Amino acid sequence: MVQILSGIQSTTAALDAERTRLDVVSENIANAHTTRGPDGKPYQRQVVVFESALQQAIGGGAQSQTPTLKVARIDKDSRPPIMIYEPGHPDADANGMVAMPDINLHEEMADLITASRAFEANLAVVKNSRSMALQTLAIGRH
Amino acid sequence: MISSYGVRPAGEVMAPDMMPGVQSPFPLKGPSETNPAQPAGESFANVLGRMVEEVSARQANANDTVAALQSGQNVSLHQAVIAMEEANLSFQLMIEVRNKLLDSYQELMRMQV
Repeated sequence: MVQILSGIQSTTAALDAERTRLDVVSENIANAHTTRGPDGKPYQRQVVVFESALQQAIGGGAQSQTPTLKVARIDKDSRPPIMIYEPGHPDADANGMVAMPDINLHEEMADLITASRAFEANLAVVKNSRSMALQTLAIGRH
Repeated sequence: MISSYGVRPAGEVMAPDMMPGVQSPFPLKGPSETNPAQPAGESFANVLGRMVEEVSARQANANDTVAALQSGQNVSLHQAVIAMEEANLSFQLMIEVRNKLLDSYQELMRMQV
């Protein structure tokens, strides 16, 4: 098939990946105070790991593989939970200590900004690619 | 519908004896003469037909993507918008080709005989 928007495949993959990162960051923020997950333990912060991949272009052979990026895996942060003294909490232990997830809102906000800026940059590529195609189509008009 | 434009296949050149007595100082050469090794290409009407099919496929793809997005399947917003934009651009490309074709036809019809 004719490539109308050039280089759109890697950009689409990057948009997908950044979208996933935004989702994970929002999950981290939402669960900043979750003391009990499905496994009974406090929530563990999650980190997205990207990797580059070769994506087969539509209808292409071996030569038309374009390098793209994809989410390799969503890992759990290894930081141990913080112990906070809160005797009234239902999840408090015998000493009145509650295990809270070690989530720093400032860190998550910085991650959020990075992801949303990266998303924006890829959108700018799409927009530019589109306007280039439109301008090229306008060559024939008088 | 496309073949009703009556497009001559690319490379077909007007026979010289259509205008007897007129000798061109620069005899016209079709692409088939200049490059005899190349097989006779498919007609322009075929190329145009394939293009229309491709545009139609892209529009169907955009439709499917938007429908999948609306029905809550695992399709992101940007995928739908990009699919729509691709359909739009390929349609415009097709329109440009059609305009050029009609222009050249009208130009020919305006020729003085």
